[in-house]
Amino acid sequence: MATTPTPAPKTPPAPAPKTAAGTAGGRARRAGPALAVAALLAFSLFPVYWMVSSAFDPGAGTRGASVLPSGFTLDHFRYVLDTGDFTTFLANSALVGAGTVLLSGLLSLFAAVAVARFRFRMRTKVLVMILIVQMVPLEALVIPLFLQMSDLGMLNSLLGLTVVYLAFSLPFGIWTLRGFVAAVPREIEEAAYLDGCGWWRMFRSVLLPLVAPGLVATSIFAFIVAWNEFIFAFTFMQDDSKYTAAVGLHRFFGQYSTDWGAVMAGSTLITVPVLIFFVVVQRRLAGGLAAGAIK
Amino acid sequence: MSTDTTDPARHRNGNRRRDRGRTPDPERERHLARRRAQRTRALRPWLLLAPALAVLAVLLLWPLLRVVLLSFQDYGLRQIYTGTSNYTGLDNYRTLLGDSALWSTVLPNTVVFAVVCVALTVITGTLVALLLQRLGTVWRVICSTVIMMAWAMPAVTGTYVWIWIFDPLNGIVSGGLDSLGLIEPRETNWFTDRWSFYAIATLNVVHHGFPFVAITVFAGLLTIPRELPEAALMDGANAWQRFWKITVPTIKPVFMVVTILSTIWDFKVFAQIYLMPGGSGSNPDIFNLGVWSYHQSFVKNQYGMGSAIAVLLTLLLLAITVAYIRALFKERDEL
Repeated sequence: MATTPTPAPKTPPAPAPKTAAGTAGGRARRAGPALAVAALLAFSLFPVYWMVSSAFDPGAGTRGASVLPSGFTLDHFRYVLDTGDFTTFLANSALVGAGTVLLSGLLSLFAAVAVARFRFRMRTKVLVMILIVQMVPLEALVIPLFLQMSDLGMLNSLLGLTVVYLAFSLPFGIWTLRGFVAAVPREIEEAAYLDGCGWWRMFRSVLLPLVAPGLVATSIFAFIVAWNEFIFAFTFMQDDSKYTAAVGLHRFFGQYSTDWGAVMAGSTLITVPVLIFFVVVQRRLAGGLAAGAIK
Repeated sequence: MSTDTTDPARHRNGNRRRDRGRTPDPERERHLARRRAQRTRALRPWLLLAPALAVLAVLLLWPLLRVVLLSFQDYGLRQIYTGTSNYTGLDNYRTLLGDSALWSTVLPNTVVFAVVCVALTVITGTLVALLLQRLGTVWRVICSTVIMMAWAMPAVTGTYVWIWIFDPLNGIVSGGLDSLGLIEPRETNWFTDRWSFYAIATLNVVHHGFPFVAITVFAGLLTIPRELPEAALMDGANAWQRFWKITVPTIKPVFMVVTILSTIWDFKVFAQIYLMPGGSGSNPDIFNLGVWSYHQSFVKNQYGMGSAIAVLLTLLLLAITVAYIRALFKERDEL
């Protein structure tokens, strides 16, 4: 997997060697990144590799460990999908994730425009408050939110869970998008006004496309919050049919012995959608972060 | 913008009163129209903020207040069923602060773990960002895709994988060390000892957290004008000096933000501890504030005590955040 990669094909403008010893330094300079890349790939990829490999390995959990799988089987996946409602859990997670992404994108964009484009009294106070609520440790809120959701009749409901995740992803969304909105030059907006654009029209056809990369970043964050969250789903969802995937997976975890093949197959099923999502949006994410930062 | 309109507005009000009963004059019409426009402009940010603020108020601020109220009560199963409250003043806090486990186990677990994780996350992330900057396009895309994968792995499945890697019976680390003859076969359980438990948790948290730092710092690096490091290079500054004298000061806000966020995230690590063997309460040695609070509430049904622990964690984070915000404000006059 992490074979030593060939040195980077193109190093950025190579600083001219200052002394005669430059060649040795140059070789070190090229070998350094190659080693660093190898270490990075190994550290980042190994858990992902080990999860997928164990999920397909017939001997996972029973044989002694080795880096190469002892064979190939779909039994673990079959077992996970046939046992209980794992497909329902995945569908629940998808539903909650989609709801959180849509709502938090919309609401945080509105709020970000408000704090980035308008100077109003209390603006700084609102910003600081948003930063502070992001600091609130969420597990500190498990107890009161449990009672709150119970009062609102939203315990054990996917909508209730979505709304909770919305609250968790909003502060980050507002802070991220604030930067993107502020990075859109005012002149572009003013030009749109001069051309007779109304505020809403300007919002839709000028601002929205320009902050789209920021929305991608916000969506990723919101989706991850919703898809990965464990403790609230674990505490709030009481019916088996309402479990999210992360909670449902917990059931394959035995008290004394664990079927690691099944746990890794379930983990793979949960992780792969996120991986696909990331790979699809990653160009836009990186580009977006860069664009937002550069202005 | 809207704040400096108060005076002219009052002035116009006076005009209007004097003008009452006269034939409409264009001057006044224009004043009124401008005032209306000003009012909508003043209202617009609040309309835009309203939905987000409403959600935050109902689901974060009110529960936050409620957890404080609960922490002053002896709130257990009986109170849940009867709906009564039983205020006991500072009793929960007195018990909590008098508990030697807080000082010898829980607080060190929380703080040392968070500090180590933040340091390792930010250092690793920054090094990876600097590496990404040096790489050519192809390797940069490969590396950023791969670190995205580390980022994309959910905390829950990531935790299961790390547990599986270090599984005492069949895990790859045990197996590997066993075959090298370094450990007694199947007898070393890293999850029972506090230090090795947290070492594994640290690996897990840093693996999950460094990509965010790397991508953000890399984006920040792109904003540094090329002339700066080139000029420094001309002046004979080495890479170390260029990093500390140019990179760090130029993108200091980026470092501040990733450090704040990592700190906040790492102080409240929960699932990664809770899901590990012994983490859900059977091994009190590895409690951190979050897990302890959850255990008191949902296992022991002492919601008041659980809330007091949660409040303590919140206060700790509040102190850190306030310190950061003050530093941030010192950097930039305006948010």
